[in-house]
Amino acid sequence: MTKNNNVYSNKSNTNIWHEEASDNNPYAAKSCKLHGYDLFELVNKCKFVDTLFLLFTSELPTPEQSQLLEKLMIFLINPGPRHAATRAAMNAGVSKADHAHILPIGMIAMGGDHLGSSEVEKSINFFNKNIDSDPEKISKKLKEDYKPVTDGDCHIAPGFGSRYNSIDNVSMKMARHLLQLPGAGSSLKWGSVFANEISHIGMSWLSTGVAAAVFNDLGIGAREGAGLFQLMSAPGILAHGLEQTHKPITAMPMLQDEDYVIEK
Amino acid sequence: MSSKNKMTDVTYWDKYRGKIYSSAGGWFGGKDVYCHGHSMMKDLLGHVSYMQMIILNATGKLVDENLSKWFEGNFIGMSYPDPRIWCNQVGALCGSARTSVTAATVAGALAADSRAYGGSKTSLQGIQFIQSALKEYKEGKSVEEVVSNCKKNRNNRPVITGFARPVEKNDERLKPHEDMTSKLGFIVGEHLSLAYKIGNYLEEEYNLGINIGGYTSAFLSDQGFTADEIYQIKSMVVASGVTACYIDAKNKPSDSFLPLRCDDIDYNGHPPRKLS
Repeated sequence: MTKNNNVYSNKSNTNIWHEEASDNNPYAAKSCKLHGYDLFELVNKCKFVDTLFLLFTSELPTPEQSQLLEKLMIFLINPGPRHAATRAAMNAGVSKADHAHILPIGMIAMGGDHLGSSEVEKSINFFNKNIDSDPEKISKKLKEDYKPVTDGDCHIAPGFGSRYNSIDNVSMKMARHLLQLPGAGSSLKWGSVFANEISHIGMSWLSTGVAAAVFNDLGIGAREGAGLFQLMSAPGILAHGLEQTHKPITAMPMLQDEDYVIEK
Repeated sequence: MSSKNKMTDVTYWDKYRGKIYSSAGGWFGGKDVYCHGHSMMKDLLGHVSYMQMIILNATGKLVDENLSKWFEGNFIGMSYPDPRIWCNQVGALCGSARTSVTAATVAGALAADSRAYGGSKTSLQGIQFIQSALKEYKEGKSVEEVVSNCKKNRNNRPVITGFARPVEKNDERLKPHEDMTSKLGFIVGEHLSLAYKIGNYLEEEYNLGINIGGYTSAFLSDQGFTADEIYQIKSMVVASGVTACYIDAKNKPSDSFLPLRCDDIDYNGHPPRKLS
């Protein structure tokens, strides 16, 4: 088929999923295969985390890779009720938005450049661009260009920076923990050196950087990593959003006029 | 072929396989675009307002200019640039988190698809109420009886969309809407007339009055719209205010929109415990 001189394929194609038609109905599937593995064989023998890895990389993980990914998933399971994405979902929940919208609203807010999936994508690209360079030299160069900010936090590189003007202790602790695992690869190691080099200016790993390093070490691409970051944060965002749906609309603060300043 | 292997009848799906049947319109490359039977290039672009197009695409009806102007005024009044309002706060949080403007605006609009506020889904409930109330009223029921059939809250007060505002009782949009309705030459129809009667009754009995949702639902019912049509037209009615709140937050440092300390969240859950 041609339109505007572009050649369009007659069929969509995928390397991921194959459905075999039933003998008596071409629309009904009789079996499904994920990267060649029968779905029910995976159901019976495979852990969810391994199936997820398979979905995005086309191969089942080694035990070390599986462990690394599962630890990351637990780390990311809840950004907490102070993260903008969770707050957006909670807002929607308490204000009686359609329940089906709460997760998408949270996911949209989790897609940003600040502690969101866009930052993860940029962070993976940052690792890939610099992984063959000395992290000390890269940090030195970035610190030379760095101008301290007085308003808000600074991300000296995607996935690395300050949180409320101090080091994000939770993310730093998680990166150190992951570094001890047998599945830790060159990105986690490179990032740890880089994080040490910037710690004296009050910066270190951010959650987005930790996720990016793990995804990169697992051979998961930048776009896929960004989406997986949203997916892995989804349970906590959804739980907090739904928790508010059971409460009255007054269960979250509504600022009064005296606390609302209209700037001229 | 044995009966066991008899092919299932899939004629219905085969009809639509690789084919789209549209009543909305379509694009004929390099020539024209048709919208519900109207030629976009000949009859619409340059001839009708954007609001008329929104209504046409949402309902298939090409309304006159006056009704379109009424909708435009209503859209203005339904989208405040104040991030205390939930959908706008979603937009502001997206700004703080540095999403794209489109993502933020869509997220805010999605949040306002709410049964409590927003003017889209609430219109659905509001119109269903006033249209069924008019039916009952015409069948001989009194206003009191119509109200007594409605859902009550735990304090035994009626819960009717369009006749109580969540934040404050006085609705600053009502008077400008009434002025606009009159200025554009519309008369008070039977739905709006009944809505005023219900509002007066609720005010006397329960200190609840008609708000903009009740007014809009009744006015648009008088214009012949169904509940679904209004929900379709107003699906993005809060979008502009969400965008404004997104931009305001995006132009400030990340995380500076209502920052929360750890103890700004009250934890009432299980006390600390160890895995066994």
